[in-house]
Amino acid sequence: MIRRNLILMTLGTLLIAPPMLVAHEEFRVVGTVTTRQATQIVVKATDGGTVAIAVNKQTRVTRDKKSVDLAELKPGVTVVVDALGDSEDDLLAVDVQIVPPIQPRK
Amino acid sequence: MAQATAFSHEGPPSARRLVSAMLVALVVAALVLVGAVMPAEYGVDPLGTGKAMGLLALSSVPESTETTPEASAGSEGTPVQSGPVALYSVPYRTDSVELIIGPYEFVEYKYRLEKGASMLYAWAATAPLVHDMHGEPDGAAKDYSESFDKQTRGRADGAFVAPFSGIHGWFWENPAGEPVTVTLASSGFYTTAVEIRSDRTRTPHTLRSVSPSTRQGESR
Repeated sequence: MIRRNLILMTLGTLLIAPPMLVAHEEFRVVGTVTTRQATQIVVKATDGGTVAIAVNKQTRVTRDKKSVDLAELKPGVTVVVDALGDSEDDLLAVDVQIVPPIQPRK
Repeated sequence: MAQATAFSHEGPPSARRLVSAMLVALVVAALVLVGAVMPAEYGVDPLGTGKAMGLLALSSVPESTETTPEASAGSEGTPVQSGPVALYSVPYRTDSVELIIGPYEFVEYKYRLEKGASMLYAWAATAPLVHDMHGEPDGAAKDYSESFDKQTRGRADGAFVAPFSGIHGWFWENPAGEPVTVTLASSGFYTTAVEIRSDRTRTPHTLRSVSPSTRQGESR
């Protein structure tokens, strides 16, 4: 039983620890919030794409460099999101700035 | 039923055994990290296992479609100093590019230069940008860089000598809601150029070699 626990814990650590220690890339997404849920926001980027970005308690949300509540990320607001992840399909927001609306690209 | 009885006699593992198990697991995980993940991800290979298992190739990302013998040779771009003259085994190249940076977006533009290699540059933007001229040494951790000039600027004219082999160039961030255009012109002994956008897309740029026809008769 103990041997089995040891094997399971070793395998578990092997699976979990390396990915946690590997650094992610920094992404910036600029666009408009289309939906907000408890754990993620969806942003329609200025390049036309739509990106779902996870948010958590550590995500900093600011407007004019002052912290505001996550609830301020309402659909329609323009945001600049600095996020970490391996690709645009796997992002966690670190900083979210609420900025004035941007004119769409011509 | 007999098996259930046997389990109940054994009881849960002691805290000491659990801690031992965790330590063993952490040591094994650390070995995997240092022996496999770091060589494959960052090209850092302190144990030599990455080279032995061929993992180092995974960490090298091609940065340009332009492949020259000089670029692949690595340290051949290092100048040989002869008094006031520095001689290079790679061609003198020039580059000019116009980059449009969208509102609140950033772009990086970087050249590969060997240690001691030089370049001249001038860039100008249609509005002030958050700017950081920096370099990333070969073999350094993925996010490591050294800043050489970091401040908000609208233009810069300069000369640069690479303090180490690696990629060197500019980070420009548009802090405002209107697009900004940056025009860059440079020349020097770099071998590749790459543009990196906010969404991490990497676009290699082709560089121009100057007077290649005269190179055949050159003495080195």
